[in-house]
Amino acid sequence: MSADTRIPVTVLTGFLGAGKTTLLNRILTEQHGRKLAVIENEFGEVGVDNQLVIQTDEEIFAMNNGCLCCTVRGDLLRILGRLLKRKDRLDGVLIETTGLADPGPVAQTFFNDPEIREAYRLEGIVTVVDAKHIVQHLDDGREAKEQVAFADVILLNKTDLVSAADLDRLEARLHRMNTMARIHRTRDCDLPIDRVLDIGGFNLSRATDLDPRFLDPEYPFEWAGVYELAAGAYELCLGHHDHEEGHGDGHEHDHGHEDGDGDHDHHHHGDTDELDVALLPVKSLDATDLAAARDVAVQVFSDWEKQVRPGEPVAPGTTLQRLRLTGGHGHFPVPIAQAGRYMLFTAHDVPTHLYAAGEILVRYVHDQTYRHEHSHDEEVASVGITMAGELDAKRLNDWIGGLLAKKGQDIFRCKGVLAVRGAEKKLVFQGVHMMFDAKFDQPWGGAPRTNVFVFIGRNLNREELLGGFKSCMVN
Amino acid sequence: MNVTKVWAAQLDDYAIDLAWSPEGRVLAVASAAGPVTLFDRANGRKRHELPGHANGTNAIAWMPQVERVVPHPPPALDDAAGPRAEGNRFLCLATGGQDGCVRWWDADAGSQVAETQLAAGAWIEPLAWRPVTANLKSQIPNPNLLAAAVGRKLLLLHPDGSVAQTFADAPKTLSALAWHPQGSCVAVAWFGGVCLWDADDFRVQRQYSYGSAIPALTWSPDGRWLVAGAQDNAVHLWLPEEDQEFHMSGYETKVRELSFSHDSRWLATGGARDACVWDCSGAGPEGREPLALPHTGRVCAVAYQRAHGCLATAAADHEVALWDPPRPQPLVASVKLTAPASKLAWSPDDTQLAIGSQQGGVLVLQVGT
Repeated sequence: MSADTRIPVTVLTGFLGAGKTTLLNRILTEQHGRKLAVIENEFGEVGVDNQLVIQTDEEIFAMNNGCLCCTVRGDLLRILGRLLKRKDRLDGVLIETTGLADPGPVAQTFFNDPEIREAYRLEGIVTVVDAKHIVQHLDDGREAKEQVAFADVILLNKTDLVSAADLDRLEARLHRMNTMARIHRTRDCDLPIDRVLDIGGFNLSRATDLDPRFLDPEYPFEWAGVYELAAGAYELCLGHHDHEEGHGDGHEHDHGHEDGDGDHDHHHHGDTDELDVALLPVKSLDATDLAAARDVAVQVFSDWEKQVRPGEPVAPGTTLQRLRLTGGHGHFPVPIAQAGRYMLFTAHDVPTHLYAAGEILVRYVHDQTYRHEHSHDEEVASVGITMAGELDAKRLNDWIGGLLAKKGQDIFRCKGVLAVRGAEKKLVFQGVHMMFDAKFDQPWGGAPRTNVFVFIGRNLNREELLGGFKSCMVN
Repeated sequence: MNVTKVWAAQLDDYAIDLAWSPEGRVLAVASAAGPVTLFDRANGRKRHELPGHANGTNAIAWMPQVERVVPHPPPALDDAAGPRAEGNRFLCLATGGQDGCVRWWDADAGSQVAETQLAAGAWIEPLAWRPVTANLKSQIPNPNLLAAAVGRKLLLLHPDGSVAQTFADAPKTLSALAWHPQGSCVAVAWFGGVCLWDADDFRVQRQYSYGSAIPALTWSPDGRWLVAGAQDNAVHLWLPEEDQEFHMSGYETKVRELSFSHDSRWLATGGARDACVWDCSGAGPEGREPLALPHTGRVCAVAYQRAHGCLATAAADHEVALWDPPRPQPLVASVKLTAPASKLAWSPDDTQLAIGSQQGGVLVLQVGT
């Protein structure tokens, strides 16, 4: 594989005062000896001796196709073109944009013009966030949200000004908006510079770096409980029931910390006469083992479901089981062949009781909710999907084409690795709005053919995206 | 056709612009890094190296008609002005660069005689002098006027450095500039449109819109056609006097290279690996098949002779070729350089072709039958 010798470009964005200039100067100082050009919008105190600093005014060129999201930065096209008129090529370009700049056109500038595409390689978009003020910015308007959404790397800066709890909350919120971005906490943009350069954020071959476990912070299940079971026949009862015994020990809306409150709302998503569950073996109650089981459950819940009618067994294993309920409740035998710990995941937080022979209630030794928090308040969010299986090339092409045409403006970035029937190699893709790029990259070899992709955007409908994706799968 | 090398030279950086003086005895070549070198036509001897512009030079243009000029040198240049400071006739070269200034040079003395500060740190390009026809000369004693574009603004400047006219800002940064061959108006282009400004009363003659960026603009020598090379892989033509327009699309990439033959019949264009030459006679080029002159790399420069039919083209494969396009076997000669050409310019008498390269090379070829 030949090396990519194009000039690397890194885009730094973020509001005034977030720390971009500090970061820029650090890069220039550390990269002393390399010939870098800096293109800046705001007049900051940028510059180390002998570095080329160019001022620019944002100028948007709209493409002639009537699409509002198909825009490029005319001023950058001009400057980048002029920077090529050199005998000795530059070692890199840094573009600093203002907090009000739209990152979409900046990124698209690098894909639209053949001369620019052949000469420059967009490495990534680094967004510097002022931890103290970002919440205000996020609430004030769409610019800050977009800068977070488009980022490959987010520097959560000025951490010294914010409490640890607030930082945790903030980081979680940013991660929910953009699950693709690596978030680094910094005080003064102090981090090894290689975390912001050479990111490969738009490099198709690096799409395989996507870690499925970090993709979807919204779990597809709301509750899980761990049971220690001997081999035998059990019964799973869901919904309201009329057993008198063991009432207080069942999973009955209190979870140990909301006694008698009774204000748990059931999240009645969809059909209350259906409940997706999975019963997975788990090694221990250690956090790592629980997390491992949870991650397997995430994959299982994206998989094809097996319909289970009342009275049919619910078996342990990596099959998603869709239980049919009547009037919101049902009974299902659970045969356990092997003694051990089992973690039951349920899509919705409904009353759940497990009984051993003789109607003896089995208490869970651990439970956890995965309740969605503020997920519907955020306009910008990520939808990440992991699913085993193969895709039909034509259906995939039609679906993506239609999706981008219809929702291209709302989809800021997407990235993924797909398994296409008949293809030995992984199909890797990445996109900015409607500008979508894909190629066949490394062979799957012996690795399991798992599809992984993420969409970051505004007003995305997870069910719709998942449904559309599933419709492209080969049965 | 005989093609022989006359001389060659090497600059410190990319040869960004190159132009013959009006009577043909000096070749000026600008390095992208800043300095402008003046070479003797006959042997390539360096007559002068002008400092040019800090941060880089973008464009150079020779005053077409030597006239009596009283330059106003800026204070810093008072001492350097020398014996030619007071209203002499001299060979004047105007340059524009990345320091926000147009600079005016006495090419014989090799010194700067004036400076026009337009906008600190702004990039000035392109530059073009109004063509001085016999008609114009008879009407005005000092007909020389330089059009300069800085950002969205077009200005007309006198050779003494003063501003004759500042025009209203265009909606976006000006990307191309071309004088009508009779000097009656100047056309400027920006992303989204073209405007024709009258050179005498400074009013808008015509305005056209176009849905893309326009990196190149040119008129046919007879003033009939105004042609735009466009970012959306197309060439668009207007007939201003006849209120018509034509469009040719399907190029591989944006079209930045345009050149008309002296008789206004043939339009050579870049934007692909073949240089396409369109027949603009009669009803025009639309719907006709162009002549295709093949290269193995993307075309990066095209230049027709000023008064004869030979077309020079250069491509990314380092080749410079000479063509007689309408012939069944159009290729006349070709030369391989060590780098792609950046600029081509025929001498005023069409006997020599100057070639600037992306690596700073300068080559002058004698072309004769």
